Order: sequence, then C-alpha cells, then structure tokens
Amino acid sequence: MLMQREFWMIMAAGLSLGLLGVLLAVWGNPENSGICVSCFLENSAGALGLHANERMQYLRPELIGFVLGAMGSALVFREFRSRGGNAPLGRFGAGFFLIVGCAIFIGCPIKLFLRLTAGDLTALVALGGLVAGVWLGLRSLAAGVHFGMSSPQRGGAGFLVPALFVLMLVFALAQPGFILASTRGSAAQHAPLLLSLGAGVLLGVLAQRSRFCITGGVRDALVLGRRAPLLWGLLAFTAAAILANLLIGRFEVGFYGQPGAHLEHFWSVLGMALVGWISVLIGGCPFRQLIKAGEGDTDAGMAVLGMLIGAAVVQGWGLAGTAAGVPFYGKVAVLVGLALVLLTGLLLRERTA
Amino acid sequence: MNEILPVRRGAWLRFLFPMMTLVLAVVLGGCEKAPSGPVYRIGYMNCNSEAETMHRFLPLTRYLEKELGVRFEAIPVDTQDFVERYEQGEFDFTHTNAILYVILKEEQNLELLATEKRGQYGSRTAGALVVRRDSDIQTLEDVRGKRLIFGPQLALQGYAAQYDLLLKAGIDPELDLAYYAIPHGSFKHEKVIYGAWFGAYDVAAAPVLDLEVMIAEGKIEADDFRVLAQSEVMPYCTFGAAPRVDPKLVDRFRQALLKLKPEDTVEMDGERIKVLNAALIDGFEQLLDSDYDINRDLLRRVNMPPYQEF
Amino acid sequence: MRWDWHDRLHLLGLVVVVAAMAWLLLAGAPGDSGARQASGIERAMERELAYQARAAFLQQIYGPVEELRRQGQAQQALLMLEQLNRNYAGEAHGYILKGLILHEQGVLEEAVASFVQGLRLNGDYVDQRSPLSERARIQNAVDEGLTTLGARARANPDNLSVAAALRNVYYLQSRLAGGCE
Repeated sequence: MLMQREFWMIMAAGLSLGLLGVLLAVWGNPENSGICVSCFLENSAGALGLHANERMQYLRPELIGFVLGAMGSALVFREFRSRGGNAPLGRFGAGFFLIVGCAIFIGCPIKLFLRLTAGDLTALVALGGLVAGVWLGLRSLAAGVHFGMSSPQRGGAGFLVPALFVLMLVFALAQPGFILASTRGSAAQHAPLLLSLGAGVLLGVLAQRSRFCITGGVRDALVLGRRAPLLWGLLAFTAAAILANLLIGRFEVGFYGQPGAHLEHFWSVLGMALVGWISVLIGGCPFRQLIKAGEGDTDAGMAVLGMLIGAAVVQGWGLAGTAAGVPFYGKVAVLVGLALVLLTGLLLRERTA
Repeated sequence: MNEILPVRRGAWLRFLFPMMTLVLAVVLGGCEKAPSGPVYRIGYMNCNSEAETMHRFLPLTRYLEKELGVRFEAIPVDTQDFVERYEQGEFDFTHTNAILYVILKEEQNLELLATEKRGQYGSRTAGALVVRRDSDIQTLEDVRGKRLIFGPQLALQGYAAQYDLLLKAGIDPELDLAYYAIPHGSFKHEKVIYGAWFGAYDVAAAPVLDLEVMIAEGKIEADDFRVLAQSEVMPYCTFGAAPRVDPKLVDRFRQALLKLKPEDTVEMDGERIKVLNAALIDGFEQLLDSDYDINRDLLRRVNMPPYQEF
Repeated sequence: MRWDWHDRLHLLGLVVVVAAMAWLLLAGAPGDSGARQASGIERAMERELAYQARAAFLQQIYGPVEELRRQGQAQQALLMLEQLNRNYAGEAHGYILKGLILHEQGVLEEAVASFVQGLRLNGDYVDQRSPLSERARIQNAVDEGLTTLGARARANPDNLSVAAALRNVYYLQSRLAGGCE
C-alpha cells in the first residue's frame, strides 16, 4: 500500500483537509467550522435568496472551489465524463435528506471530525451514529438495494452543475446586489474570499484525484479494515486537525459549551445515521457529491441540487438544530428521512429468485 | 439480470393481524382511568380568597390525580388556621407561603417538594417599601412619623421583609411611625398598594410580585410608585409533604410538578383548562431547604414564628 | 461532421444571443437605475437601514428602562420592563435587559434564563459587531454560572432544576463560543 501513488494522494488530501479545515476557521470562518459542506450550503442558499435567515447568508467560495477544482482536475487528467441518469428524483431526495441529517447534528461529516478534533465530545456520540448509518448502508447494498448503474450522458449534461458553480463564482467575485450577505451571525464570519476560494480549489483537486470521502473512509474501514487507504486518509485528516488545533490553542475537551453544538445526543446520532446511510447508498458524503458533480456525474449533480434545496428548507422552515437543541419539526424531518430510506430499501431492492 | 420476486398475499395478512392488535392496544391503553384508593388531602393556603384559591388550584389537583393515579382533595385554608389544622393531621400535602413552610418544616418536619415560579425573580421575590410618585418621602429616614400599611402578618415579602428593612434603617415600626395598619379581608396585597395610591397611607409594604402582576394587568403603571427600599429576593410559595406520606408518592408528586409545562391541560366540567395558566404560575423549581435559610435569618431578625422569643 | 442549414442557423443564433447578453451586461446594467432597483441591487442597503432603524427603535422604546438602570433603580427598571411587556411581549431586547438587571441584582439563575430567552429569539446580542451586543456582560454571567451553578449541581446531582439552570449556562457558553447556528 505504501508504494502506491493513490495511497499518498489520499494522505495528501486528508492532511490538507485537516489543516485547511482548522486554518480557515483561524482566517475568519466560524469556530470549528472551517469547512462544513452543509453549513456552507445553508449559507449559500441564503445568499441566493432561497431562505430568509439574515444571519445565514453568504456565498461560500469554498464550495465553488470544491466543484470547479474537481472539474479542472478531471478535465486535465481526462477523467471528466458526463454520466448518470438513474433515479434522478430519488437522488435529489437523498441529497435533500443528507442536509436534513447534517442540519440536525449541526454539520456535515467533515465538520463532525473538525468538531471532534477540537475536543467537542458531542461529536464523538454523533460519530457512533455515522458509523452505524454507514454499516446500515453497507447491509442495504449487500441486500441488493441500489439506485442503479450510471450510464454515459449525451449533450454535455455533466457540465450543467459545474456551470451553476461557475455562475456562483461570477456572483462571488462581482457581488451583484441580489446576492445577499449577512452582516451579523455566523455567515458574517468568513475567511478572505480568495483564500477561501484557493483552499476550495486545492481541496477539490486533491479530492478528485484521491476520491477522498469521509463516509467512504468509514465504509472501507468496515469492509477492508486496516488495508483501506481511505481509512488512513481519514486518520491523516484527524491527526492533522488535532495537531493544528493543539498548536493554535483551539483544543477544548468537553461536552458542554462547545461552539455550534447541542446536547440532544439521541437526535445527533439519528441525524448522522441518516447521513451515513444515505451516503453509502448514493456513493459518497456531501463533500464527495460535490466532487463527483464536478467530474461530470449528473447523479451526484442531482444530489447536489437536492442538498441546495434541503439547505434552503432546513433554514426556511426552522428545522436545523441550534445550540438550544433540535426543533420539533427537525426531529420529524429526520424520522421522515429515515422512513424514506427504509422505503427505498423496499422499493429499490433488486430481489434475486 | 435478476428477476424481482412477486410478493405473496398471505404474507400481508400475517403482517396485518399483529399490526391491528398493536393499534388496538395503543388506542385502548390511551384511555384515561379514574383513580382509586385512599384520598390524599392537599391544603392550599388562601392567598387572596377561598374562591380564588379553588379556581387556581382545582385544575392543578386534577392534573396531579391524572399523573399520579391517586385521588386528591383540594382544601382551601385560611393562613392563620393552617398550622393548627396541619398539626391535627388534616393535610398530606401543603401549598403555603414561605413563612408557613419554614414553620411547618421546623415544627412538623414537613418535606420540601417544589417552589412555584412566578414573575421576574422566578421562584423568589422581594418585599418593597413604595410611595406614590409625587410623595415627598425620598429616603427611608423620611418614613419616620408617617402612615404605613403592611400586608398580612404572615406574609414574608408583604410584612416581615419590610419590617426588617425599617429595623435595619433604625426605624422601629412600633414606635417611630405615625401609625401602621394591616388590611382586612381578601386581596390584602392589592389593598396595600391601592391604600398608598389613594393617599390613605404614605408608604406601602408590597411584595414585588404583586406590583409586577398589577402592572402586567394594567391596574397600575410602573411609574405610579417609587421604590424606597427593597429586600433581598427570597423563596416564595412552596409545596410540601407530610413525613408520613409514602416517599415514592412524594417523589412522584415532585416530578409531576417539575415537569409541568404551560401547554399541559386537564378537562374539568367539559372544558379543557391550561393547568399553569389557571394556577397563575409559570412553573415549579426544585429548591434546597438551605435556600430558605435567608427566610429563616429574616424571621429571626424580626422575631417572628417559628423563632419568636418573648 | 457536416454542418447543414439547421446547425448554421443555431450557431448564428447562439453568437447573436451571447453578444447581446454581453452588451447588456457591460453597457446596460450599471447605468440603468430602474433595472438596478428591479434586480434588488439596493436590497443590502435597505436591509441595513431596516436593521439600524430597528436598533434605534428598541433603544427608544427601552430608553426609560436603561435610564432607570443607569440611575441604579433596578427594581423600578424591572417594573418598567413589565409595563413595556404589555405592548412588546416576547421581544428579545426586553429579555436581554431583564437579564442584565437581574444579574446586577445577583439573581443569577433568572438572569441566565432571561439571556437564553433573548438569544433564542435574536443572536445579535452575542455578536461582536452588532450595535446591540451585550457579549461581555453575558460572558460575565456565564463565568459566574459555571462556578456557582456548577458547584451546586455537583453537590445536588439529582436536582432537576439546578441541572436545567446549568444547561442554560452551557447554552450561553456555546453561543459565545461561536460556530455555525
């Protein structure tokens, strides 16, 4: 394994993600939230006017960087393929509930590890949920549940989602008046635009080359054990983030008073279980969906669109968890998500005679 | 390509039967059962009047019956009679002001259950000496030789606290005032406040909670009065349990009070009533008996029961 | 690949539309105030104005309470808040002011509970940059709460009310620590 180029690419991606995840918070992003795909999507949906929470509106350049970095890398290394076409609405719904699960916990799987590596022990409980969700996803796959195989798409369909992010890049740079930007709240906290964008592009390239994915790492660890390169990437990410947090004095161990965290552990576990389960079924965590969408995968593109609408809805309808806990309808939304995943397990199961 | 297996109809029936049984069990289990067994008596100290006490606390009593599955009888009790009737074994549970709680704790080993929360200080409130906005009384020293109206004598924040404030300022209410009075009948605290407002008295000894309530209800305005002096905040109305009551029931009683939320309701006379709203309470808090030490120190300073010395 | 009349027509149309769009963006948009307004360019300023107006309105409405508080008449200020509550019940500013006054009076648990109610309605009060920020004072209450309520909770592990009060302190601590909302 140590001789493989792929292994070292994964290690580079993991180390960069850990390091930049911490540094972006130092440079201005919210505490323990240097990188968080779900939070950033909620911010971006707000910036596009899709929800009215005035404290959660900012077009996060990191997201744009992830997609365009992945697209650039895929084009340069001739890996860009327009592909997909299976169960588009199912994938849209999956993306939607990925964000619901993340919003209940307050963060995507990347942020889960960033919170954990800053000493937030509430994330440790949620990690149990994520691992359980990934395991359930694996069992579902083994039982024949899947959204179908992707096939090549005609007409440059794979460029549509990257084109949306190019448009967002134009908006982020030109800052037209209809793009909203919070002047207070967590969305008002951000690293300088070019720094965020640069970090996003770098991580997008590395993630495209390495196929780095948080839930993928957990999945491979459950299947392959120590032989899984993604597991080592995940460990590198964790180690880099812990070290960075220790060096800059942001390591505070405890359950209580942690930034952007709540104490409703049961719902954190359920939320992250939903994320883990869905991620395995659609082939990657929210971060990986962005990267795949950048590579021309229209199935991932549908999931990304679902994530964007999910991000708008969790804020607009007040479903997202806050430091005060998980709102009632947020709990209902998680249960709806779990019910739909279970239903998917019945309806999309390929049964053998 | 693998073939998808058809679902067999018999499997659905096997699934349907246990599900219907489960639904039936849940529906029937949800029906309310009338409590049975011995009747426990809750003595509620009259704050303003007997009618008001029953209006406030009957829904709470029904709620406790429903939660604990035992029968309760709500008994309105005059403040002056409370200790004597308790000593005769009339009540299993008590709801009293903080002085009566201290007396019963000291003399009868009453167990502290929970303290009611109401107003800006939650489970506590203070006693204040107030004058009309246009009064020429500016400081406590100016109170000498003036007419003062206290609340009922067994009111910690309506009498004892203000008595203590005067003593601390070097004013002996028995000697240094023109005279002082205590109103008769019901709604004594309101009478005290109106007594000063209409000029019958120069100074009023009012619980801060009553001022808050009257302002909230629009009976008075905040700047109608000036606060001359105010005591520390001290625990207020309190639920207690007689030591003879089963500790398990006592604990369940406490839990039922603590978990009460503003949206909890009971049905009475065909009407659905919000329990806390009817009781004019925001909720309950589990204080420690040591939190009442501040009350005890005050009662010692003003030579009142249960520490009265002759 | 052969280009027939259909392809040539589409290619021509594409060139024309892209050119028109470029012209519109480069020449038309910045000078056209009507289009600017329609596309919401002034929305940010309107929002800022509304926010500043809200802050000014709150300071005007709650000005008498602030004044009494400055004069050290804490109880009178609380009673004034009660009166304002008749018209502005559930306003976050009232809860924050009440928390500040109660904390100054030493009534820590209720002060913390009041801050929590206020912050759950409006997080501006812990923002560094907000004109409404009361971050430092809320931090003081948290520091005190962690010490006194923490000790009380350790001494009475079964007391639900103390645990609830400490949870309020943790909530404030979490909000002060930042992170996503």
